[in-house]
Amino acid sequence: MALTIKALNPGFVAKVTGVSLGEPFGEEVLAEIVSAIDNYAVCIFPDQPLTDERQLSFSARLGPLETTRRVNRADFKHRLDTRVTDVSNLDENNCLVARDSDRRMIAMSNRLWHTDSSFKKTPAKYSLLSARAIPSEGGETQFADLRAAYNALTEKKKQEIDDLIVMHWLTHLRSKTGFDHFTEAERAVEPPMPQVLVRTLPGLGRKTLYLAAHADHVIGMPVPEGRMLLMDLMEHATQPEFVHTHTWRVNDLVIWDDRCTMHRVREFGITEVRDMHRTTVSDVGPTIDQARVA
Amino acid sequence: MPITVKALNPGFVAEISGIRLGDDLGDDVFNEIITAMDTYAIGVFPGQHLNDDEQLRFSARLGPLETTRRLLRPGAQLRLDKHIADISNLDVENQIVPEGGRALMNAIGNRLWHTDSSFKPTPAKYSLLSCHSIPAWGGDTQFADMRAAYDALEDRLKAKIEGLVADHSINYSRSTNGFSDFMPEEIQPAVPQTVVRVHPGSKRKTLYLASHAERIHGISLPEGRILLYDLMDHATQPQFTHTHHWQVGDLVIWDDRCTMHRARDYDVTTPRDMRRTTVSDVAPTIEQAKVA
Repeated sequence: MALTIKALNPGFVAKVTGVSLGEPFGEEVLAEIVSAIDNYAVCIFPDQPLTDERQLSFSARLGPLETTRRVNRADFKHRLDTRVTDVSNLDENNCLVARDSDRRMIAMSNRLWHTDSSFKKTPAKYSLLSARAIPSEGGETQFADLRAAYNALTEKKKQEIDDLIVMHWLTHLRSKTGFDHFTEAERAVEPPMPQVLVRTLPGLGRKTLYLAAHADHVIGMPVPEGRMLLMDLMEHATQPEFVHTHTWRVNDLVIWDDRCTMHRVREFGITEVRDMHRTTVSDVGPTIDQARVA
Repeated sequence: MPITVKALNPGFVAEISGIRLGDDLGDDVFNEIITAMDTYAIGVFPGQHLNDDEQLRFSARLGPLETTRRLLRPGAQLRLDKHIADISNLDVENQIVPEGGRALMNAIGNRLWHTDSSFKPTPAKYSLLSCHSIPAWGGDTQFADMRAAYDALEDRLKAKIEGLVADHSINYSRSTNGFSDFMPEEIQPAVPQTVVRVHPGSKRKTLYLASHAERIHGISLPEGRILLYDLMDHATQPQFTHTHHWQVGDLVIWDDRCTMHRARDYDVTTPRDMRRTTVSDVAPTIEQAKVA
C-alpha cells in the first residue's frame, strides 16, 4: 500500500498522498488510485506540481482523453493543448479576460451544478483539475455526492425514477445563463443526448443519480412535469449534507468521478488570475448502453 | 387583546387564533392583525372555513384586490369570482382536470419559488389563501423569509446588490420549466422591480426575488442570471424556510413584499381546492424606493 488515504468527507472526499503523479509509477499504484476514486468519488492530491505534458500522460493512463470544446471556437486562439480544457480567466496571451468577454460569459455556466460532458453521447468518466494559480478569495469548487443523494431518496421516489431517461443538452444549459454568442460550429455539434437518470457504478455496484444543469427533459413525460422532477432532484442532491467545498491551493490536483458527482465553481473576482487545467477521461460508452449490459 | 398570536417560526410565521375573519371585525382587532403580519410576514389562521364572500370582504379591507390572470386568456371561463385566483385542479364543473393537460402544466409553475405578481408593475402586498379541500398526499406550501435572508448576506453582497433592479416576467419563469402555451394576450412585458426593498411596516430591509426575475439591469445577462440563482439559493436554505401542512378551513395570509413561497408536488388525481385573494401593493417597488 503505497498511498495514504485520509477521508475528508466520509465515503465521498479523500486526501491522497504518497505518490508523485508527475513521475512514473507502477500499475499497482494506479490500481490503488482507481480504488480510492471508487470508494470516495472525489480525491484531492495536494502538492502535485504538474506540467500539462505530465498531467496528460498520467490522465491517459485512466482512459481515452476528451478534446476541449474550444476547437469549435475558431475565434479563440488556444493557450493550451487541445486535450486540456482551459478553465482559466486568461486569454491566449495570458492576459485576464474582460468582464463581459465571451470567454468569461461561457465560463459563467460553470457556476451551475453539472457533471462534465453529460451532454456528449459518451460522457466523462473522470475529470482531473490542476490548480496552477488561484485568486486570494473565492473560486472554491463544490462537489455533490450523487450516490448519497440517491440513497437518501424515499423508496417511492426511487421506484418512480429508476428507469427514466433524461435528455441532456448543451443548449438547455446555455438558456439558463442566457448567453447566445455561439459559433455555427458550436451550435451544430451537440443535439440532445439521452442518459439514464439512475445508474449503477461498475466499481462497487452502487447506484447513483446522474444529473446536471444540462438535463432538459424526461422522456415520456410532459416537459414541465419532467423538468420540475429534475429541479426537485437537483435541489435534493445539492443539500448541504451531500455537498463538500474544496478551497484550492496551488498545485492541488483533484480527480472526481463524473459518473456519480456534480460540481460547480463559486464566484471569484475579475482582477486576479485563476488558472486551472482540466483533463477529462471519457467513459466506456453511453450510459444507456452501459445500463443494457449491466 | 382578543387575538392570540403564537410564533410557529420566530419572527417569520405565527398562528393567529381567537377571531373569525368572516365576522365584522373592529378596527382595533384589524390593526392587531396588521401588526402581527408586520412582525411575522406569515399569519396562519386555522379553522376559518371562509366562504368566498367572507374571504373577499375581509381581503378588501387590506387594500385593492387583484383580478385573476385567467381573464387575460380569450374565452376563459371562471369557476370562481374574478377577484379569486383559482389554485385548484378543478374545472368550471368542479371536475378534476386531466393529468398532463394545459391547466396542470401551467400550474406546475407554482412549484417554483416566487412571490405573487412581482411580474406586474404594482405587485402584490398580501396574498390570502383559503383551503377548501386537500389532496390524498402532498400539496404543502413552503415559505421563505426574505428579511432574514437579507440580514444573513455578507456585507460584500449587500453592497453589491443595493440599488439593483431586476426585470420580472411570468412568461420567462414559465419558460424555464418548459411551459409556453400562451395566447398573445397572455404575453406581458417584463417589469422592473428593486432587488432590495425596505419593508414599510417593520422598516426592515428585505430581498425581493422570484423565479420570475429574468435579468438585472446594468449587468450582462449571464452574470445577472447567476447572481439571481445564487441569491435564490441563499434565500431558500432550510434555515429561512417554513413548511405549512394544510388543514381544510385554514386561511394563510402572507406578505408578498418580504417572502417567497412555492407549492410542493401532490396527488393530482384527488381534489386540491385552494382559493386565493390578492391585495395590491401601493405602487411599483421602484417608485416606493424613490419616496423612501
